[in-house]
Amino acid sequence: MAQLQTDEVSMIYAIGGEQIIAVDKVSIAIEKGEFVSLVGHSGSGKTTLLSILGGIAKPSSGSVRFEGRDIYGLNSDGLSEYRSEKIGFMFQFASLLSVLTAKENLLLPVLFKPSRKDADGKLHEERAVELLNMVGLGDRINAYPSQLSGGQQRRVAIARAFMNDPELILADEPTGDLDEETEADMMRFFSDMNKAQGVTFILVTHNTELAGQAGRRMKMVHGKNEEQ
Amino acid sequence: MTNDFSVLSFAIKNVKRRPLRTAMLVLAITLLTAVLVFALSFIYRVHASIQIMTSRLGADIIVVPTGSRGAAEDVLLENKVKSFYMDQDILEKVSKIDGIEKMTHQTYLVTLSSLCCSVPESLIIAFDQDSDFIMKPWLKGKIDRKLGKGESIVGHESSFNISVGLVEVDSVLFGNVFKMVGVLDKTGTGLDNAVFISDDNISDIVKNSDLPIKPGQVSIIFAKIKEGFSHRKVANAIEDSIIEVDAVTGKDIGRSIINTLRDISGIFSMTIALASILSIFLAWTVFSAVANERSQEVGIMRAVGAKESHVMGLFFIEVLLIGAVGSTAGIVFGTGLSVLLAKSFTILKNISSDLRAVERLAVAVIGFVAGTGICIIGALVPIRRIKKMEPLTAIKER
Ligand SMILES: Nc1ncnc2c1ncn2[C@@H]1O[C@H](COP(=O)(O)OP(=O)(O)O)[C@@H](O)[C@H]1O
Ligand SMILES: [Mg+2]
Repeated sequence: MAQLQTDEVSMIYAIGGEQIIAVDKVSIAIEKGEFVSLVGHSGSGKTTLLSILGGIAKPSSGSVRFEGRDIYGLNSDGLSEYRSEKIGFMFQFASLLSVLTAKENLLLPVLFKPSRKDADGKLHEERAVELLNMVGLGDRINAYPSQLSGGQQRRVAIARAFMNDPELILADEPTGDLDEETEADMMRFFSDMNKAQGVTFILVTHNTELAGQAGRRMKMVHGKNEEQ
Repeated sequence: MTNDFSVLSFAIKNVKRRPLRTAMLVLAITLLTAVLVFALSFIYRVHASIQIMTSRLGADIIVVPTGSRGAAEDVLLENKVKSFYMDQDILEKVSKIDGIEKMTHQTYLVTLSSLCCSVPESLIIAFDQDSDFIMKPWLKGKIDRKLGKGESIVGHESSFNISVGLVEVDSVLFGNVFKMVGVLDKTGTGLDNAVFISDDNISDIVKNSDLPIKPGQVSIIFAKIKEGFSHRKVANAIEDSIIEVDAVTGKDIGRSIINTLRDISGIFSMTIALASILSIFLAWTVFSAVANERSQEVGIMRAVGAKESHVMGLFFIEVLLIGAVGSTAGIVFGTGLSVLLAKSFTILKNISSDLRAVERLAVAVIGFVAGTGICIIGALVPIRRIKKMEPLTAIKER
């Protein structure tokens, strides 16, 4: 059984009288541990598809199954648990909370969990500091987003996606505004997490070179999905 | 940095984001709670003193001249100095009414305030020593003999005035010198300010004054009712058979004050209702703005795994913080105000009982619950709206 499987998911937005088909009957199956790249023109439906997969936008039709379970058949709390336990999201846009420091932003995904430790018995705090070190921000853990450069904020958001030990990372142009060197660092980081921990990746990128490095390549064209 | 990141510290950070706006809401809650606490203290205090008075009076029914009921309440409740008289034959008429177990009578003699001293005038109460059951329970230490002519027992407050030297030990009443031989315990009623003398003295006093009293007249009759008789029925029977008097049951004493109080309560209620509506509206406005400003953040929180209840919980703590700070400040202001202004309200000035600590606490709890509750009510709708949003929609909302 595939880890993640969609069956003809579509997302149709109605604006005024017009209908916009952002995602058009996409059926894909992704195995655990795969590294998938997703390319496509702006407006082709990449962000929308990722949101559907990540349980933050219910599709107009079709179903999404994670480990065989229809996630949109879950109630609101069940869906939250799915996001909390299985998914690490890197958003296309700036997504740090401005009142929270870098470390606190990392702690946000585990803030409401009953335990202060993760499954391995490690304190969330320690895990947060460790991840910030991994993305090269070990010296900025108490900085607020406004005190960080755009690229640094990006890396905090990248680190945050790993905070809950997810099985699937949904990364929406996560390295878009990083310099080449840092981008390469981050890609190495992703690759390590993928190989060492078996974390599945779906990575949206405009960088064809990066896309080429992925084990599997997909493309969105006008809301439809094509394998490459 | 050792500051632990928790839902509470997160909420505190959020509350501090817009200090001015938060302060406005806190202030509104403070004002609302202050008015509420003040009003409750005021009304509670009046009611409490009426209750204390009736429970301590020791009489089931009082009988006074027709039309003097209000004046009698003023004497008993508010330490006011009033006089009114009825003829002695009424005593006999009342005693014949079915259901009366025992009765005693008192005569109120008003001093002229300029007469003896600089102290506020006291009411001189002449009582019948043989039948008395009103004062006896309050007499500190037993006096084994009857009061002689020229001897007096004084109420708790009067004795205080005497002990601090405001009044000479020997009081001069209408040219008659009275020696203080006993002191009453604090009753918390109008009796605390009175000076009691035996009614043998009345004729001497009247001789030396121009009091409008005829020999043998009395001011008030206190009666105990026999077991099994309805107090109200006996009171009605008295009024029906003796047209010159009003009969008031213990429960009904203070009714006229409560009626006056009703108008004041009305004004308080209106003010509180208005302030509540304004506060709810303000809380609603503030939290609508908060919801709009933070919808993206809420979307992100939800996207990284927070449940609706978690978001709700976070906002709830923020509302609670604002409500708690506001209502606590309001309790302090309201209580302070009630203590300070008590002296400017004539109705309170003369009431001897003050609120006990438990009562103040009860009022404070009510103020806290109301102030915080109003804040929650106003914030509920915007917060519910925001937690219901699908994460992606919330994130995109600007
Ligand atoms: N909330 C929305 N309402 C209406 N149209 C939307 C909404 N979100 C996205 N779209 C439209 O859906 C299409 C796909 O958008 P998106 O998934 O963001 O594309 P991409 O990420 O590939 O650039 C675009 O045409 C966009 O305008
Ligand atoms: Mg996009």
